[in-house]
Amino acid sequence: MEMKFRFDEGALMRRSSKKFSLAAAVLAGALSLTACNAGAGSTASGEAAKDSVTVALTGEPVNLDFTTTAGAAIPQALMSNVYEGLVEIDQEGNIQPLLAESWELSEDRKTYTFKLREGATFSNGEPFTAEDVKFSIERVQSDEWVSSLKSKMDVVDSVNVLSDTEVEVVLKQPSNAWLFDMGTLVGAMFDPSGVEDLANTAIGTGPYTIEAWNRGQSIELAARDDYWGEAPGVETATLRYFADAVATTNALQSGDVDVVYNMQAPELLSSFEGDDKYQVLEGTSNGEIVLSMNNQEAPFDDVRVRQAVMHAIDRQAVVDTAWNGYGTVVGGPVPPTDPYYEDLNDVYPYDPAKARELLKEAGAENLDITFTVPTRPYATAVSEIVVSQLAEVGINAKIESAEFPAVWLDQVFTKHDYQMSVVLAVESRDVLAMFNNPDYYLGYDNSKIKDAAAEADAADEAGYAEGMKDVVRTIVDDAAANTLFIFPNIVVADANVTGIPANSVTEALDLTNIGWK
Amino acid sequence: MTTQPAAVVRSTRRRPPATLLVGAALVLLVVLAALVSFIWTPYNPEQAFPADRLQGSSAAHLMGTDRYGRDVFSGILYGARITLLVGLVAVGIALLVGTPLGILAGMRGGAVEEVSMRAADILLAFPALLVAIMFGAVFGASTTTAMLAIGIGSIPGFARVARSGTLQVMSTEYVLAAKASSQSAFRIARRHVLPNIAGMVVVQCSVSFAIAVLAEAALSFLGLGTPPPVPSWGRMLQESQQFLGTYPMLAVWPGLAIAVAVLGFNLLGDGLRDKFDPKLNGGR
Repeated sequence: MEMKFRFDEGALMRRSSKKFSLAAAVLAGALSLTACNAGAGSTASGEAAKDSVTVALTGEPVNLDFTTTAGAAIPQALMSNVYEGLVEIDQEGNIQPLLAESWELSEDRKTYTFKLREGATFSNGEPFTAEDVKFSIERVQSDEWVSSLKSKMDVVDSVNVLSDTEVEVVLKQPSNAWLFDMGTLVGAMFDPSGVEDLANTAIGTGPYTIEAWNRGQSIELAARDDYWGEAPGVETATLRYFADAVATTNALQSGDVDVVYNMQAPELLSSFEGDDKYQVLEGTSNGEIVLSMNNQEAPFDDVRVRQAVMHAIDRQAVVDTAWNGYGTVVGGPVPPTDPYYEDLNDVYPYDPAKARELLKEAGAENLDITFTVPTRPYATAVSEIVVSQLAEVGINAKIESAEFPAVWLDQVFTKHDYQMSVVLAVESRDVLAMFNNPDYYLGYDNSKIKDAAAEADAADEAGYAEGMKDVVRTIVDDAAANTLFIFPNIVVADANVTGIPANSVTEALDLTNIGWK
Repeated sequence: MTTQPAAVVRSTRRRPPATLLVGAALVLLVVLAALVSFIWTPYNPEQAFPADRLQGSSAAHLMGTDRYGRDVFSGILYGARITLLVGLVAVGIALLVGTPLGILAGMRGGAVEEVSMRAADILLAFPALLVAIMFGAVFGASTTTAMLAIGIGSIPGFARVARSGTLQVMSTEYVLAAKASSQSAFRIARRHVLPNIAGMVVVQCSVSFAIAVLAEAALSFLGLGTPPPVPSWGRMLQESQQFLGTYPMLAVWPGLAIAVAVLGFNLLGDGLRDKFDPKLNGGR
């Protein structure tokens, strides 16, 4: 009896181990299968005009409230689609009218008078009026907004309602940046009765409303039938969130999604290029991959250590290895689409010997640091080459991964509990938001640039560009952060989808014009 | 009829079964790779040479290079170290905790048995991988948490094997005789029980080792095991995922290494079982 019992145990054990390896084999098979089924999903295109489109993205919003929560996923989903501003930034980076039909700027360049569009309504039925403009701008200035971007509205002195459709905004001093910023998320127009639960409901004047939010999966946007402008080309637009980049392209190949926006695996592009079922758009973005160093904590409170990191990293090699060569190496925190861009690659050429020298000078040889890496594809890809290059100059960086967005935002961005990190900074014209604020997670001491930045903003357009260039040079000289490269905006889509915004000029993913051939 | 306690183990004189030989050879290969990595790897497995990225096999790079220009062969050698370390520690934990627990349950019976075996059942109800993922989430991803989690997940297997073996030994005449001569329970466990169940436990070790290797690879694949840039087979597999269409060999090498290790320990386990199993030895 007992003998038999013993055998049963053994057999059970044996069976379960076999089962385990079988499961692993099946898993491995499934993995390779999904990677090989290119071309299997060609069925969708032949049907009659589709009224929905599904866009694959990586990185889901934590909530729907960009007024209190950082992270690009929220404005990406909501701006232009649910919320609109007085103006919008077009694909070339120019300011265009949106909720304001037109505007005038006074002689002293301090007073803007906006003429508002008539007939625009919020999705809760309330009409959009000058009062809403006043409410929205003043709300940014109030404590209701806790986003680090709210400082962009500091320049506003007062907002005066002239009539239902006319509003006057008086600035404290002339500002070149302000009107542009009004086309980004700080310029979003809210209805006073629609801000109670921003984290879960979004009420704006845009062409879509949020139909459903399946947390962890997707956001469904439904076209409004009472939208003031031209109706979008689809009834519903679904934003589907994927954990990893390979899954997004697999979903495209299997027909589950129609568009992969801001594609996160450039290595996979070769299988789509040259296939006429798909279109590949390589747009520009204003996102900088920033290797951040905590300027207020040792060892990176020493400018020489930061400069050593600048010299230690071959930025071109980073783009080539981590992002298959897609992306632009610029040497400073400004994308080429900004008016004050200049090529700053010469400031810190790749020079490991110089880096070692600087570390020696700072007494920081054989440095051990922690490198907090958010769980995003670009970050993990970049981190390994960075670690290898840092090791060559004697900086031993230990990678610690931080779940993105929640853990990273809490630990690094909010609590500043990090030494080195890497993140894609996507806000448009964000150089001052990042560096002209010592409380920002970078902790850069802005005393050197504060006045120069204010002066540049108040100057005329030429003076603005020149002044800002000086500011940026100061930031780079201080090695406040290492801008590794400017992120490309790669879009892969079904060849029949039209109206995809290829360039990512603001944080918004504008689905207003998306449709089918 | 009164066999010597250890006689069961030493019974066969025939040639070892083929599975045992093949298994041992494969395991030896992995062990050798790990040992070699301590004294020599062609390149530093963590060092990137961007200019030499994504090369195929050549004399300079036996298994080519990855996206960062790191030598894959060096990574495979070094990865064997991680694999064996995780396997050893995980199996060690399970062995040292599970076996005494099983013997205790088998000898004492009653409440002790009920409590410890039900606890083992509860643990068994959670797949080891799930436990490991939970550990990784709570304590952060690292080789240590992976080893601990896989080890804890393997305890019930050892406890059950040890218990069933003990139950069987406890009813033999020599144990009854030892009991009658009022030897201490500890002495009985050490002198009579342990040597008799050793064979089963060794088999369990080998099988658990295979599971641990696979679990480590799976955890690293999911980003919950060994953190980068330390090369681990599972992570090498994961990193080569997006190159499957363009550079499939990048995935083949670590995949092959995992397969060799898992197959090796499984065959070794099967072979040892055949060797130790008195029933399979036919009429001796």
